[in-house]
Amino acid sequence: MTNSAPWVRSAAALLAAGLMLVAPAAAALTDGDNACLGCHGQEGLAKTFGKSESLPLRVDGAAFGGSVHAPLGCAACHADVDLKTHPGAGKTFESVRAFSVAKAAVCQQCHEDAFKQHESGVHARRIRAGNALAPTCTGCHGAHAVTPKTAYQTCVGCHSEALAAHQKWLPNAALHHEVVSCAACHAPAALRMVDLRLYDPATKTWATEKPGEPWFEKLARSVDADGNGLDARELLDLVNRINPQGTAAPKTFRGRIELRTNVEAHRLSDKAGAIRACDGCHREGAEPFRNVTVSVTGPDGRPLRHGAKQEVLSAASAVASLPEFYAIGGTRSPLLDGLLILALLGGAGFPLAHLAVRWLFKKSRA
Amino acid sequence: MQRIYVHPLAVRIWHWANALGFVALILTGVQIRYVDLIGVMSFRGAVSLHNWVGWLLIGNFFVWLLFYLFTDKIRVYHPELSPVKHFRASFRQLQYYGYGIFKGAPNPHHLSAYHKFNALQSMAYQIIMLLLVPLQFVTGVLLWDLKRFSGAVELFGGVRVVDTVHVLLFIFFTGFILVHPYLASLGDTPWAHFKAMITGYEEVEEPPGGAPPER
Repeated sequence: MTNSAPWVRSAAALLAAGLMLVAPAAAALTDGDNACLGCHGQEGLAKTFGKSESLPLRVDGAAFGGSVHAPLGCAACHADVDLKTHPGAGKTFESVRAFSVAKAAVCQQCHEDAFKQHESGVHARRIRAGNALAPTCTGCHGAHAVTPKTAYQTCVGCHSEALAAHQKWLPNAALHHEVVSCAACHAPAALRMVDLRLYDPATKTWATEKPGEPWFEKLARSVDADGNGLDARELLDLVNRINPQGTAAPKTFRGRIELRTNVEAHRLSDKAGAIRACDGCHREGAEPFRNVTVSVTGPDGRPLRHGAKQEVLSAASAVASLPEFYAIGGTRSPLLDGLLILALLGGAGFPLAHLAVRWLFKKSRA
Repeated sequence: MQRIYVHPLAVRIWHWANALGFVALILTGVQIRYVDLIGVMSFRGAVSLHNWVGWLLIGNFFVWLLFYLFTDKIRVYHPELSPVKHFRASFRQLQYYGYGIFKGAPNPHHLSAYHKFNALQSMAYQIIMLLLVPLQFVTGVLLWDLKRFSGAVELFGGVRVVDTVHVLLFIFFTGFILVHPYLASLGDTPWAHFKAMITGYEEVEEPPGGAPPER
């Protein structure tokens, strides 16, 4: 499969994407998959590489069933397994690490764009340099239990000291870690965006759509009558419709800086190349704030998005529609800018005018 | 001429530290908010300086508060309890600033050690010192560490509400800091009130019939 013609890989990727789109959140496994799990679901099944290095071959069937790859089935990634000769005729590798690195080619079959980005990123460079700790695809995403995780959950799996390191130089570091995707700074070539995700204070989690009950996109479309993205008034309307009068714990949109496409999240730079300049975001018209979406978490954990206009971030109505999202400089309100100009003009103008009148009356006082 | 000790040392120290601090906060605040228009210093440098000066001014505020709480000088902030008297005095003062001063009329306010503010100043400084300045400090502290104070931020109604209040007050104080020195120059001589805030003593003409009664 790894040496297949490009059209075969493209067809496989399309088929996989199609299957994943139509599949329910936890797909039922096929008989073929269950047949595989008949052996690979057993504890203790393992293969020995090199000098007695052991690779567990057990797959948690439930976890695989709940993964995004479940609709594809075992054979999609393990096409090299020939049932006539399996088990016993598998390839051998020097080490588990070598197996892991080689198996990345399987991911590449469907995720070619991400793979290309990854190849020019810091992790791939370190893999090529022989760094045994640099993660392969499965190092970040797992092998059989691939589920939509936030970048932060993925990154801190290894970089557990990240917050402490950022606290040494970054003001409000904990907040930045909460609202800025790691890749937004560590994939400096990527294009970024603001995703305004619906949060439910009652459950203290992101509001999530239930399977088979899509409502967010319908509501967003009905509010966005002209279909060109929500403007400030339409966003306020959407918020009001989500929270009818009397709602005890109104849901709110919380903003996050994310990448426009997660594919680019794979092109990570080394630490020295990461964005450290605050004004990359904290200035009017900064690149991340030019592209805005509103979203709700879908049944499978991935966001369901609807476009919004940049103006929603800085409009006066944002005090009501986006009370929980503000980025100094990046979302500043033109109304407050106008008030500042008035204060400056008034503050300088009043003394000058008063002084002028006193001067004009000088003669009459004398 | 009579010399009256109206500004005790603690108040003078507080005042000038506060003045310098507010100017620094306004300038760094402008740099933080308008980093795309002004590039005197880096965003992070401006945030860091803004935070440090903010903490110093919070400490300085307590110099002012504790001084007045533990001395009888707090009487200068006692409000006029009769609304009629207060508004009549305020109107007279407005009339003076808006007309009488041009004609050379005398200032209707007669200064004394326990009555250093005219009716307009008295009302303005009560609102500024007991409401606006503390509110600016509270919102500033919340913005300093939003995660640590997330509960309080939520009580305020969200980070945008906190920031909007902080910026509105910044706008007010920017206007105030421009007008304040001019108003301070409207004493018997342009430098009289400035000198008094350095030496502590105001020089006032004795009104006919002797010094005005202490309140």
